[in-house]
Amino acid sequence: MARKDFLDIVSLDREEIIQLLDQAEPFKDLFTRSVKKVPALKGKTVLMLFYEPSTRTLSSFEVAAKRLSADVTTFDVPSSSVTKGESVRDTIDTLQAMRADYIVVRHGLSGQPAAIARQTGASVINAGDGAHAHPTQALLDAFTLREKFPEMEGKRVLITGDILHSRVARSTSTILRKLGVKVAFLGPGSLVPKTASPEIPRFTNYDQAIREFGPDAVYLLRIQKERMAAPFFPSDREYHNLYGITDERLRQLAGQGTYIMHPGPINRGVELCDAVLDYDRCLISQQVENGIAARMSVLYGLKPQTS
Amino acid sequence: MNLFLKGGEVASENTAPARADVWIENGRIKAVGADLAEPEGARVVDVSGKIVMPGMFDAHVHFREPGGEHKETILDGSEAAINGGITGVVMMPNTSPSIDSATVVKRVLDAAKECRIPVLTSGCITVGRKGHEMAGIDGMKKAGVLMLTDDGDAVPDAALLKRAMEYGSEFGMFFASHCEEPQLAGPRALNEGAVSYRLGIEGTPALAEEISMSRDLALAHATGATLHIQHVSTAIGMEQIKWWRDERGAKVSGEVSPHHLMFTDEDIGDYDTHYKMNPPLRTAEANVALLEGLKNGAFRIIATDHAPHTEFEKSRAFEDAPNGISGLDTALVSLFDRFIDKGEFGWDLIVKRYSAEPRRMMELEVAEVAEGKIVDLIVFDPNGETTFTKEFMKSKSSNTPFLNKTLKGSVEMVVLGDEVLLER
Repeated sequence: MARKDFLDIVSLDREEIIQLLDQAEPFKDLFTRSVKKVPALKGKTVLMLFYEPSTRTLSSFEVAAKRLSADVTTFDVPSSSVTKGESVRDTIDTLQAMRADYIVVRHGLSGQPAAIARQTGASVINAGDGAHAHPTQALLDAFTLREKFPEMEGKRVLITGDILHSRVARSTSTILRKLGVKVAFLGPGSLVPKTASPEIPRFTNYDQAIREFGPDAVYLLRIQKERMAAPFFPSDREYHNLYGITDERLRQLAGQGTYIMHPGPINRGVELCDAVLDYDRCLISQQVENGIAARMSVLYGLKPQTS
Repeated sequence: MNLFLKGGEVASENTAPARADVWIENGRIKAVGADLAEPEGARVVDVSGKIVMPGMFDAHVHFREPGGEHKETILDGSEAAINGGITGVVMMPNTSPSIDSATVVKRVLDAAKECRIPVLTSGCITVGRKGHEMAGIDGMKKAGVLMLTDDGDAVPDAALLKRAMEYGSEFGMFFASHCEEPQLAGPRALNEGAVSYRLGIEGTPALAEEISMSRDLALAHATGATLHIQHVSTAIGMEQIKWWRDERGAKVSGEVSPHHLMFTDEDIGDYDTHYKMNPPLRTAEANVALLEGLKNGAFRIIATDHAPHTEFEKSRAFEDAPNGISGLDTALVSLFDRFIDKGEFGWDLIVKRYSAEPRRMMELEVAEVAEGKIVDLIVFDPNGETTFTKEFMKSKSSNTPFLNKTLKGSVEMVVLGDEVLLER
């Protein structure tokens, strides 16, 4: 039975995930054709409701919806009634009246998309909520990794950085583990919570993590500017020295054939050095491209309860 | 009024319920005893199989008047108390404006005159609960305040709290502390642990309470002030109160809320704001430790921290929704359902911790079902049941985890003085 909403990875089972990944493949094939559109969502309205600034995810969703022939509207939150103090609940009532079929939500508060989903018959897609979940990112990450490792079972991914505040770490670790991939966390002791999961090994030393865990891919998280200001670690320079992919570490990873992934946007000189972008096993551009296919698959698979 | 409660089990703070009839005449208890003769002209109510006990007293309630009447007025709150078998309450001062002066105290106590039960109020330690200057303690004392608290927040400045304790104690006031180290507490939405990680919300560690409590207890000991610690949610916090009280002779006590005995952060599930309060729900181990503390006397009183909020307010995203649950309608029945009915503790404990001790703390006469006493009693049916629908609840807000749930036990009657306040 098709779902109404796409809110997190936790509530998906392995079969649903695989179906979403399989479904994304023909969409990706479409991108090399001269006409990149299919009429699947013709006549449907997709509304973008981004309470947090976003360029990449917002554009990715817009392109995905347009390639499915949907009508796409972006609700301009910063200049809207929201800044005049309107509650989310009242905003959704307004959007309901506009009869959107799909609402793509990004919000700074964990759980807000789920609350919206309960209020509306439109399909709600979580485009990132607080530190809770970023399920379409997880899907595109899994898709990207599967392209490199068609048999994912037993592969190893080391997620590195600010695990504590990262919705990507939560969703991507969850989807990978559901697909049989082994996941470990690496980062400063103040940013890798001990309460995260008893089944996910926790490392705070880069060399030890590489040696003991032996990752097939290193997944770098963005170190957010606001975390650098808050005293979670002494400086971005120290972070780079301890956890960043330096030239030397890149040579070591290249020698082992390790892939590098990153959800973007990147901070050069913090979590990675410039040379990473030219590394032939750096998958960042593929992640962006696959993001469109993965989001098309999600939109295509949902069933709005709108008449 | 001439009322004869026939065949009930009379409970007190020191003894298990014992079979006795209770004869009430003109607001006083005329006689209590097994197989009394039915007095002439009295209305006879058969209460066999039911518990007859003193009315409960809740020393920690948030009525939202003035400033938040859309959530709860003083009158609404007092009716919720009666509905739950509670015949006296102490309001917290975090209204708007705060109850931090004789003027606001008088305004509140004036509104309380409409109520059918005594409604007392505490007063702020600092002006506007802002933690900068001492509130007008002399004026509030003269207006009838005994308990000083900035409940909702800790007093951030230890020096100011120390001076307030030195100053206020001379007026015979006692202090009550909401213990929480503000920097550690963060956004104050839920306990720090596996659940906060799963939900992606910064948690409030138990440490925030423990550290703040250790400061306030040491201050009370040093100044000789009497200090009551409100809504303890951690085992280490509870142990500290016991240690200062028993090992150092400090005049300190603690309270526990029903929800901290019954629920854990796991109950939040998928962002259910009916389980969002401050201090937050913690772990199953904390439940066990706090229950043990209630049984062994670590806690002086039970209090609900009754905190009504509207459905709309509670429908916000978890981090944005206000803290607190409505508790007066549900407290006694839920304590019966979860603990007494399961044999965890007896009626004597409830009478002691939720009726006698809170009244002693507030320097009030202790309610007793005994000959010659002013009538302040309730009848509780252990074989009945209660479904907490919105219609049943007298609180203006129905933000409770028990909403639409059916629990064992029912408050059947509340009699105060010469008036039957409730009869189902």
